Amino acid sequence: MLTEQSAYANRWRRVSPVAKGLFSLCGMVAAFAAGSPRAALLAACILAAATVLGAGVAITHYLRVAAPPLLFLAASTLSLLVSLDFGTPQTGVSLHLAGAEFLQTALVCSRSLACLSALLFLALTTPLSDIISLLRRCRIPETLLDLMTLCYRTLFVLSEAVHDTMTAQSARLGYTTLTVSMRSLGSLISNLIVQVWQRSLALHSAAQARNNDGALRFLENSYANSRLSISIAVGSGCLMVALTIMLP
Amino acid sequence: MTDAILTLKNVAYRYPDGTPALDNCSLTVRRGSRTAVLGTNGAGKTTLFLHLNGILRPSAGQVLCGDNPLDYSRAGMRKLRSQVGLVFQNPDSQLFSASVQEDVSFGPMNMGLEEREVRTRVAESLLAVGMAASADRPVHNLSYGQKKRVCIAGVLAMKPEILVLDEPMAGLDAAMQQELMSVLDQLHAAGMTIIIATHDLDFAYGWADDGIVMEAGRLLAQGATTEILLRDDVQMALGGAPLIAEINRRLLLIGIDLRDNGYLPRSKGELLQAITAQTRQESTP
Repeated sequence: MLTEQSAYANRWRRVSPVAKGLFSLCGMVAAFAAGSPRAALLAACILAAATVLGAGVAITHYLRVAAPPLLFLAASTLSLLVSLDFGTPQTGVSLHLAGAEFLQTALVCSRSLACLSALLFLALTTPLSDIISLLRRCRIPETLLDLMTLCYRTLFVLSEAVHDTMTAQSARLGYTTLTVSMRSLGSLISNLIVQVWQRSLALHSAAQARNNDGALRFLENSYANSRLSISIAVGSGCLMVALTIMLP
Repeated sequence: MTDAILTLKNVAYRYPDGTPALDNCSLTVRRGSRTAVLGTNGAGKTTLFLHLNGILRPSAGQVLCGDNPLDYSRAGMRKLRSQVGLVFQNPDSQLFSASVQEDVSFGPMNMGLEEREVRTRVAESLLAVGMAASADRPVHNLSYGQKKRVCIAGVLAMKPEILVLDEPMAGLDAAMQQELMSVLDQLHAAGMTIIIATHDLDFAYGWADDGIVMEAGRLLAQGATTEILLRDDVQMALGGAPLIAEINRRLLLIGIDLRDNGYLPRSKGELLQAITAQTRQESTP
């Protein structure tokens, strides 16, 4: 879990999540406020620089996390640029490169890039539990947040269970040939479903044992100098928005 | 009987699929005692524990806390569960939140305490189990033993009168077991009643005042561990006897009575001490 690692081990881990959230929000505002691809790219660069140079997230880490969404972005940009024309039976099928819409496409693409780096900034500098408490402050419905909390925790429990079961299966030659592998995978999945069921019951008992009667409530982290960091974040965020608006 | 803090009267419980788990089970736990619950796998120890905390409700019979039968209403359960803290065997099925501090705060927050109070309790209980330095770490990066300690902290933060632990020593290394023991001893010294399910006869013999031996959902024996663990039927049911008790018995057979030193050794340390004292006595005529 690369995102996880840097979220817990970056220079800005102890900075108030409100500040980081607001800066990320400013990044998204800047992305939409940008009138030209150049301006949107500038916003993307500022956000990426803040993540890598400011928060100290390793550049290799950053690129590896960014690679999958970038691939999607590239694919969708390509499909916007190139259009397939079935034409008339005389002209036949032809590929068209967008001409007039080129600028439009470039703007959409660069804006998405800026939005992506704004989200990456938040995801790579803030642990999910902080993001959830941030969302709680924004009055997001409790049920959704509880689901997020449980899913997040269960993700690790399950990946460990998968890992252990697979190791145990391999130790007994479970993945030697294709047929055997398919059978092992099948039993892994069915076993996992039972485990999920049992774990959900166990979690329910554990919650009851600690006096739970509905919503999951936790203590929120407290952050030193949060007022200062929020003003810095909002200040620099607004500067970024202003820059993207002014850049022709 | 004001001495009893928890009492089961003829409790029976059958799981929804029909498996009987407790069968006409009656027992008492003394206030302020260190009680070990022993029994083979499937003897009903965990089911018993789930009854003490009101998670399971007996199909027949009664559970009493102090002198009063458990009140299974919402308010009654709130009160009971802040009195009886239950630590489960598998830490992964108890930890909810991804952050250590958050998870420990779960119980106190549910009790509706003020934030400042919750913060103090979280810090205190993490300190008590030696995990204060890991308060901000994500739970999934902890070792098994550390997770187990976080679970205990999560229950300690609720300041229960009775601490119920399901096989807390299982999976811990010797050093960590020692550490946990000293935490439990401190809590007991502060007046907490501690109930532990264990398979470790030596531990039960050395640590617990009282023992409860379960067999197939029934109470087989109850009383001082120094007495009941020497009974033949108990040894038969548990498949063994505490090593120190065996050694005491054998030494007595060859004419060495370790009680000459004033007490019967219960732990390894006490035994070694008693033997040293005994040999000194014999060498000085």
